[in-house]
Amino acid sequence: MTLRTTLLAATIGLGSMVSPGFAENIKIGFNVPLTGFAAADGKSALGGAELAVEQINGAGGINGDMLELIVYDDQASPKESVPIAQKLIERDDVVAGVSGSYSGATRAAAGIFQEAGIPYISAFAIHPDITRAGDYVFRTSFVGEVQGRAGAKLVGESLGLKKAVIVTLQNDFGKSLASGFKEVAGDYGIQVIGEYEYSIKDRQFGPIVSKIRADNPDVIYATGYFFTAGPLVNQLRAAGITTTVIGQEGYDSQNYINIAGAAAEGTIITTSLDRDSSATETQDFIAAFEKRSGHKSDMVAASAHTAIKVLAAALQSSGAMGGEALRDAISATDLTASTGRITFNQLGEVQKSVQVQIVKDGEWRHHSVIDDTALLAPPTE
Amino acid sequence: MLYLELLFQGIVQGSIYALIALGLTLVYGLLRILHVAHAALFTLGGYLGVIITNATGSLALATVISMVVVGFVGMAVYKLAYEPLLSKPPFIALIASIALFIASEEIFRIIFGPYGLSYTTPPLQGYFVLFDGFFLKHGEALVIVLSVVMLAALGWFSTKTRLGVSWRATVTDPDMASAFGINTQNVRYMNFFIGSALAAAAGVLVALLNNLVEPSMGSVASYKALAIIVLGGLGSIRGTLIAAMAIGIIESFGTIYIGHLLDRDALAFAFLIVVLMLRPQGLLGAK
Repeated sequence: MTLRTTLLAATIGLGSMVSPGFAENIKIGFNVPLTGFAAADGKSALGGAELAVEQINGAGGINGDMLELIVYDDQASPKESVPIAQKLIERDDVVAGVSGSYSGATRAAAGIFQEAGIPYISAFAIHPDITRAGDYVFRTSFVGEVQGRAGAKLVGESLGLKKAVIVTLQNDFGKSLASGFKEVAGDYGIQVIGEYEYSIKDRQFGPIVSKIRADNPDVIYATGYFFTAGPLVNQLRAAGITTTVIGQEGYDSQNYINIAGAAAEGTIITTSLDRDSSATETQDFIAAFEKRSGHKSDMVAASAHTAIKVLAAALQSSGAMGGEALRDAISATDLTASTGRITFNQLGEVQKSVQVQIVKDGEWRHHSVIDDTALLAPPTE
Repeated sequence: MLYLELLFQGIVQGSIYALIALGLTLVYGLLRILHVAHAALFTLGGYLGVIITNATGSLALATVISMVVVGFVGMAVYKLAYEPLLSKPPFIALIASIALFIASEEIFRIIFGPYGLSYTTPPLQGYFVLFDGFFLKHGEALVIVLSVVMLAALGWFSTKTRLGVSWRATVTDPDMASAFGINTQNVRYMNFFIGSALAAAAGVLVALLNNLVEPSMGSVASYKALAIIVLGGLGSIRGTLIAAMAIGIIESFGTIYIGHLLDRDALAFAFLIVVLMLRPQGLLGAK
C-alpha cells in the first residue's frame, strides 16, 4: 500500500512537472488477455492500443489533455473481466472502456459499463449479444454471422466452389461464423457435405483430416484462430490434401504462416485489415506497428488501434466529456481508421466492407473486397 | 478404408497419450503422488525439441538431447518439490504439483514468448500411400515406431536387467526391497528420469505433428493423462497402455461421428465414467 501511494505521488508529481496547470489525463480502461491461452492475441492488441495512444498524445492529445490507458489482464475470461470492469469504473474512474479481448470476457463486461453509463467499445470480440447490452456499447469489428455470410459469398460466388466441408471451432467465435456461412450458403449454390467440430484445445486433427479426404470437397471452410488453424492446415497439406482452405480474421496473424509454413500458401481469409490498402491510415498503421513491436501487424492490433482512434475522435468532438455526450459522439462517428471507414448503425455495430486476404510467398496480401451492404448489414436490434 | 484410417489415427493419438501417461503411472506406483506437473515436462520437451532442431537441423539429435535434459529436470522436480513432502499426506504433494504446473506455463510464456514456436523447416512433412489409398504421414509413422521402440526398451529394461528388477521390486514393496539392500533413493531418481524422458519424447512428437509448441500445450496432457491412469487402474503399466489406446481410438471415431454432441475431452471422460461405474478399480487395477 505504501509503495503504491509513493508511486502514485511520484506519478502525480511527474505529471504536474510535464504539463503545468490543472491538465489531467483522460483515462481509458482496456481489458485484454495478457496471460492464459489468448495471451498472444492480447499482446498484439495491447501493442495496437498503445500505439494509438502514443500517436494521439504525440499529436497534442485531446485538446491538450493526454490519454492514459489503464490496462488489466482479463485472461479472456468473464470471471476476470467482471471485477476488472467494476474496478475501471469505480476506482480508476475511466471515461470509457475498450475491450481488446474475446467474446466471453467482453460480453460480461459490457453489461457493467452499460449500467454505469460509460461507453464501451469491443475491438474484435464478435458475439452478437455484446452490443445488445445497451446503447453505450459499440463494436468496431464484424459480428461473427456477418463475416460468415461474407465467407459464403467469397466461396460460392467469387471462387465458384460449391462442395464445402465446414470445420467449426466449438466456441462462440467459430459457431457464429459457421452459422452465418450456412445461413446464406444455399443462396450461392454451396452444398455442405460434411461438418466437424473441434475444441479450442485441439491441435491434432488426424481423424478430421482422414474424413475430409474421404469427403473430397472443393473447399474447406474452417473456423479457428491462428494457433488452431496453423496446425490444421499443416496437417491437411502433410496428408496430401490440396483443397482450398477458407479462414477468417482468427487466422489473421503472421504466426499462422509461421506455424503452417509452406502449407499456408493460398489460404484465403475474410478479415478487417488489408495489407495492400492504399489508404494512408492503414499504411501508416502497418509501418508504425512493425517499427514499434518488431513484428508484423495483424487484425487484432489493427482493430484495437481502430477502437482507440474512434474513441479519441469522439472525445475530441464531445470536448472530452464522458457519459451521454461521449456516447452520442461515438454513434455519430465517421472516421477512416486502419481497418477502413467506420460508421455505426443504431445498435452500435460497425458498418464496413470485408477485406479478403490470401497468403502469397509467406505473407498476407490483398485478394479482394466484399462490399455488399445488404449481405453485410449487421443486426439492428 | 476410412475406418482403417480413423483406427490408425486413434493409435497415433493413443501412442502419444501412452508416452505421457506412463511417467505419471510410474510416479504414482512408486510414491502414490499424482504428478500433475508431469505435463510441464512434456511441454518443456516440445520446446527443447523445436529449439534444438532449429539450431542444429537434426530432429534425432533434438529428440535425444530433449529426453536427457528433461529426464534430469524430472529428477530435480522430485528432489526439490516432492522429496521434502514425502512424510506429509499425498494431497500436499498434489497441491505442490498443481502449483508447479501452473507456474511453469507462465514461465514458458515469459521465456519463450506468448506466440509459441514452430520448426523453421518442419521435418518429415510427407506421406506414404500404402495399399489402395491408405495415407500415412511420415510424422505419424515416426510416432508409432518411436513409441513401440521405447516401450519395448522399457519392457526389456524392467525385466532383463538388474537395475530394472530392483526398480520393479521397489514399486511392489519398498520396505522389503530396501531390506534386500536396494537403494530406493536411486530407484526414485531413475523412475523420474525415465518417466520424464518419455514425456519429453511425446512433446517432441506432438510438436512435430502440430508444428507448434506453446506455453499452454501441457493443459490437455495434464488432465487427460490423469484420466488415463485412473482408467487403466492406478499404477498399472499394462492398464495404462491399454487405456491410452482405448481413449485415442474412441476420440478418433468420436470426433467424426458424435463430435457435434460431445467434444474430444467429453468423450474421453464419458468413457472413463462408464468404465469406473462397471469396474471402480479401473481396467487392470487391483481391487
